[in-house]
Amino acid sequence: MTLNPSVMLIIILEIGLPMAFTQSLAGNLAVCFIAFCYLMVNRASLKTISFVMLISLPLAFGTGWSFIAFGTGDVWHQAFLQVSRLFAYIFLGMTLTLTTQVRDILLSFINHLHLSPTFAYGLFAAFNLLPRIQRQVKTIRYSANLRGITYHLWQPQLYFKAILSALQWSDDLAQGMASHGFSEGADRTITYHDNLPKWQWGLAIILIASYLILSLLT
Amino acid sequence: MTTLTVSDFSFSYNNPEQPELAHINWTPTPGSFNLLIGPSGSGKSTLLKAMAGLLPHFGGQILTGEIRLDDYIVDTVMPFERAKRIAMLFQNPNRQFAMPTPAEQITFALENIQLPASEITDRVTTSLEALNITGLANQKIITLSGGEKQKVALATVLALGSDYILLDEPFANVDPAARLELLQLLKQLQVQHQKTIILADHDLSGYTNLVDAIYQINPENHQLSQTDASVLIADAVGPHTFKTKAYQTLSPLKLIQVGLSVEKRTLLKPSDLQLPKAQLGLLSGANGMGKSTLFAAISHQTDYTGTIMWDAQDSQKFKIKQWAQRIGLIFQDAIDQFVDLTVAEELALSKKHTLLPDYWTEARIQSALSQLNLADFKNANLYQLSGGQQKKVQVLSMLMMGQPIFLLDEPLAGLDHVSVQAMLTLIKQTLTDNGLSALMISHQRNGLDDFIDYEWHLSNQEITQEVPE
Repeated sequence: MTLNPSVMLIIILEIGLPMAFTQSLAGNLAVCFIAFCYLMVNRASLKTISFVMLISLPLAFGTGWSFIAFGTGDVWHQAFLQVSRLFAYIFLGMTLTLTTQVRDILLSFINHLHLSPTFAYGLFAAFNLLPRIQRQVKTIRYSANLRGITYHLWQPQLYFKAILSALQWSDDLAQGMASHGFSEGADRTITYHDNLPKWQWGLAIILIASYLILSLLT
Repeated sequence: MTTLTVSDFSFSYNNPEQPELAHINWTPTPGSFNLLIGPSGSGKSTLLKAMAGLLPHFGGQILTGEIRLDDYIVDTVMPFERAKRIAMLFQNPNRQFAMPTPAEQITFALENIQLPASEITDRVTTSLEALNITGLANQKIITLSGGEKQKVALATVLALGSDYILLDEPFANVDPAARLELLQLLKQLQVQHQKTIILADHDLSGYTNLVDAIYQINPENHQLSQTDASVLIADAVGPHTFKTKAYQTLSPLKLIQVGLSVEKRTLLKPSDLQLPKAQLGLLSGANGMGKSTLFAAISHQTDYTGTIMWDAQDSQKFKIKQWAQRIGLIFQDAIDQFVDLTVAEELALSKKHTLLPDYWTEARIQSALSQLNLADFKNANLYQLSGGQQKKVQVLSMLMMGQPIFLLDEPLAGLDHVSVQAMLTLIKQTLTDNGLSALMISHQRNGLDDFIDYEWHLSNQEITQEVPE
């Protein structure tokens, strides 16, 4: 069962926003648990999830430690609250990004949330450029080698050239899109249709309401 | 029927004192096949882009005159209206696609012109069929060869149904067979669908029975004039390979049982190869056969099987930095090669790190610049040069590095005949003076006879070479 990306976005926003203000450990843990179950049901890659956890671990530790070391009052509770909040946000994000493709997300937003096609296709074209940019960084380092210089990953010159290439591409791409008829702000035919049954909105309301009730009670 | 009219049109990107185009008057006959010629940097791309309505929106300014599409100034027409009448194929096929696959790209274009959803699938299918690329429909465009990408671009234009098809050196990275196929297809579009074709090209072969009119831009005064068919090169009779010339010694680079494959597709069966010293070789073969992949393997940019040796050492023992001082790869895309911002800076960098400091004296650099007709562009921004000028700076900056082995991937793409001769003379001179080796990929074969010492032909996963007499 995969929810429509538009429904997912609303759920993420409506739970994510109050989560910043509420102080509910149980709420955060519930979000992590339900999000994890959803990821499992949708066969998200356990490897990616573990990797994300691994990267966020030092951040979580840093946040927790700073509350324990410099906090006032019940520092352990505060630390757990912050750490659980961090993971809750990460899990919320993954429910959308690990279960759907960028293309489906953007096209769903156009269809159901009135996202401007100009904005969506601009983003989409940029996403399509990403693998090229990765390859470009490799090319830039190699072309420097060919000329007897070495760019290390921390050197700004490397990124300066990458940005220069990206600017050049974006201009070419804009011309390509214009010559293929793409007009900013104009109507377009929409061939993409996705399934958004009403019960999904119902489920969204139930989930958001449950979260609010849970976090206010605890 | 739509009419495109250029009247008294002058245009400049930067400096109104030196316009790229001056007082151009041109109304291409609807339904005709037009060839636009002129040396590198004479303003062919600029004229085509202006006619396609992309300029001055994407830079520069109109100095005099206008270009009209029927009653409207062309750059004020909304792109979705314009695309139904004028479409453009760009010089660099890599940068005109917004979507990841051909089917999605064509669908995207048809959505833009608001074709009813019910007709889109059919139109995508028929346009892919017309170009014989149905099999590529759902492949990632990034993995296609240059010629295949241009076919996708042409299929998109066909789907849009544009009356005018403007092509800006579309064959720069396309092999001769695919080029002839594309030309025939364009002719078919002109005759059967009354399309007006306007094509800019440097290679003047293959057009004899194709074109109705030839126009050229004068590089001195940037004006356009009509010319006759005498400028065309008669079509070559049959395939000819370049004769192998005797060599003195071999270079230290040796490929032993080197094999290549991409995504489980074999490109080259295990082969033994060694480059002769002080000679320029041509690596030929159709699009997608793996010529660039072979270069990438030799320069350690991609994986291979077998062993690449340098004298008696396995090349994998070298760090990439050291290897880059032995193998000089000249990229297909000039912009990828540039490290600095201006011509002068780029050459100064090469001069600083060159392996041949005694050879590349200031005087020699100056004479190379004049030879390539770049002397006036020393302080120009590399990114604002024309495609051909960029190629020349790119090749010169690499020749100045002086690696023992040069691999040149399409160094002649987008160059006019005079520039090709100048470039090859310079390459050849550098090789013989310093005992360097070079292997070059080039789809263009005209005017190369005086320069090529041997030819390797890559087809059916094998490299064949004519045996010296």
